[in-house]
Amino acid sequence: MNAATATLGPVAGDAGLAALDDAVERDRFTRWKDGPGGHAIGESSFQVGGMHCAACSTTLEQALRRVDGVVDAQVSAAAHCATVRWDAARTRPSALVQAIVAAGYTAVPDTAAGARLLRRQESRQALWRLFVAAFCSMQIMMLATPAYVSGAGELAPDLKRLLDWGCWLLALPVLCFSAWPFFAGAWRALARRRIGMDVPVALGIAITFVASTGAAFDPGGPFGAEVYFDSLTMFVAFLLGGRYLELRARHRAAASLEANAGRMPQTVMRVTPDGGVEVVSALRLAPGDVVRVPAGDAFAGDGAVLEGETRVDEALLTGEARPVAKRAGDAVVAGSVNLHAPVVVRVDRVGADTRYEAIVALMREARTHRPDVLRGAERWAAPFLWVVLVLAAGAAAAWSVVDPARAVWVAVSVLIVTCPCALSLAGPSALLAAAGAMARRGVLLRRLDAIEGLARMQSLYVDKTGTLTEARLRCVGMERLDGGAGPGDALLRQYAASLAAWSLHPLSRALAADSEAPRFGWRDVVETPGQGLQALDAEGRCWRLGHAAWAGVPRPAPADAGTCAWLACDGQPRAVFRFDERVRDDAAAGVRALQASGVRVTLLSGDTPERARRLGAALGADASLGGLLPERKLAAVGAAQRRGEIVAMLGDGINDAPVLAQADVSLAMGEGAFVARAGADGVLLSSRLQDVVAARALARRAMRVVRQNIAWAAAYNAACVPLALAGWLPPWAAGLGMAASSLLVLLNSARLGRAQPAAA
Amino acid sequence: MDILYLLIPLSAVLVLGILGVFGWALHGGQFDDLEQHGEEILDIDRDQIDLRQNP
Repeated sequence: MNAATATLGPVAGDAGLAALDDAVERDRFTRWKDGPGGHAIGESSFQVGGMHCAACSTTLEQALRRVDGVVDAQVSAAAHCATVRWDAARTRPSALVQAIVAAGYTAVPDTAAGARLLRRQESRQALWRLFVAAFCSMQIMMLATPAYVSGAGELAPDLKRLLDWGCWLLALPVLCFSAWPFFAGAWRALARRRIGMDVPVALGIAITFVASTGAAFDPGGPFGAEVYFDSLTMFVAFLLGGRYLELRARHRAAASLEANAGRMPQTVMRVTPDGGVEVVSALRLAPGDVVRVPAGDAFAGDGAVLEGETRVDEALLTGEARPVAKRAGDAVVAGSVNLHAPVVVRVDRVGADTRYEAIVALMREARTHRPDVLRGAERWAAPFLWVVLVLAAGAAAAWSVVDPARAVWVAVSVLIVTCPCALSLAGPSALLAAAGAMARRGVLLRRLDAIEGLARMQSLYVDKTGTLTEARLRCVGMERLDGGAGPGDALLRQYAASLAAWSLHPLSRALAADSEAPRFGWRDVVETPGQGLQALDAEGRCWRLGHAAWAGVPRPAPADAGTCAWLACDGQPRAVFRFDERVRDDAAAGVRALQASGVRVTLLSGDTPERARRLGAALGADASLGGLLPERKLAAVGAAQRRGEIVAMLGDGINDAPVLAQADVSLAMGEGAFVARAGADGVLLSSRLQDVVAARALARRAMRVVRQNIAWAAAYNAACVPLALAGWLPPWAAGLGMAASSLLVLLNSARLGRAQPAAA
Repeated sequence: MDILYLLIPLSAVLVLGILGVFGWALHGGQFDDLEQHGEEILDIDRDQIDLRQNP
């Protein structure tokens, strides 16, 4: 397939759509199938914006099906996602997007669709296995009941054999299909010469099935007449139920991460040698290409500005909200956003060579070097499992001498009664319940073992920008430049706020948000990118708001360059407005609460040491480190870890990502760049520092519940194993004990889900 | 009680049949999105049923 590169004018709109038809771009969100008659049928996925209710999905489906060449369209209101099957000979992806836009919605190609498809298959498979096991175990229980309730001799032997046969038939799908993951897991563990939870589980299932089968078909044989298909299937259903819940939690976390992706631009406007502009997929970009980047777009690669002057939001990279000025010759990085004016950029590095990708790679590397967080339950699991296997084998050997007829049943009783069911549920069930409770408070966890890190953390490193301070700027003061000769202070503020409302520049937005201002009847409003605003008020005076030079101020202090706005009237400078970061309302309270619960709070910042120290002192942090590059932040956290501290990191922006991965447990603010979220163990959706305190309290409770669960499971085993070894515990009682102990563990864990009044 | 000899095998086979039906529904995607179709009846833009139409 050759690249259908659309050569169009500089206007984005339709041209951006045309680039979707480029083969490279198209294959990122399209899967191919052979349709009837040899036509290639493409299945494309789009993320749809603007959908508010289920009704929208029907409207959209109808709109898509009306496009010529569309075979089928399905829109999910829950996932905000459209899947369209279309005939490659009759339509193109751009036509599909046009149809969605014409229906009043927005659409972007969904490159994560492949991963979602995989998740759906995984989820369906898990539910299917669980249903087979649970439904069969219910039916088997019904068939097994007569044997339990009848007195000696009441059940005719041939009827008993018929019931056993029914149980066996229904246990077959459970064994061959539902229990397959346990056998596969046991095999994988054994192949690597290790022991896992799956080994005794698989062994217990296999022995119980073989022995029960023998008993069912040959009641007089070596396995006796007792069958335990009911215990077997219930046990499999319990275990699969636990695994299914875990899978759901994992999928939800993955889906919420994907929703944040899409920072890099899909298409770019490449300048052709003859001076024209063509829209191509960002993947087609090569070093040396010259691209035009309109205001509001992200840069697709690292490069240098050739023409134009603008301001760039590099918050993604530095975490700093302040826009950075760029003029011809300055370097720009991929993923940062052009805020101000269109520029022409020469691309020097693309794809994996960009700094953006380098930071992502650094983050992955840091994560593989993560210090091992010891996991309580699993640390004990391996020795425990060995003990169980040895005990079962020993019991079988001993009983084969004492009473060969009971040897197999004693071994099965030991395997079932010690089934690490309760023990394997002890950790995950409590952690899942805690993660669910945290999610309801707005703390989403990506990894469950982050809970242990949260509970044990001794030191919290907090990134300043976007974490303790908001990503937005705020106006902190006004200084008169005319000696108070003109209008009053309040009126001057109103003039500035009212004029600033005409612009989308970050400083203007901060100014406009500051006070409610009358409209003043501005006319002839002109915004000169990189300079400022100019407008005439109702009395015909010419006001200017913006740069010092724009407002006629000769030489401002260099430090004021990025954070001040000047206001002038008829060429006469009137006032200068200063801006600063806004400290989050709850930051000081959050720091105090954390310190009260025994956590050292350290401030890390890429900003100047002086500003970091000032903020740290204002908030009462234990230490403040300023002027740190990402590498230095990483070193600071690493040094604390070498001192033996359990370090938690709370950050924002991509520059934190390596540090987030290095820390024992990491949290990201919900407003941060998405890569930081991908690297962090958890996300604070509400961006409140107080949530860390609440999450830590919950994590400590969760760890307490885990310890209780493990203690209970251990006590249960300590009591029942001797009984089983002595032959006093028949397998049905062992099965009942196993189910009861698991249920108790689950109920204990469920306590975590309940709201706790202001946890300590 | 002789009828049990017919009913028990029948019920076992029936269970396998039910499993098959559930599997078909599951793999047909009926459990992928449990909210959407319930909310569809609230859709006012949907084509109305033509009451004058003769069966």
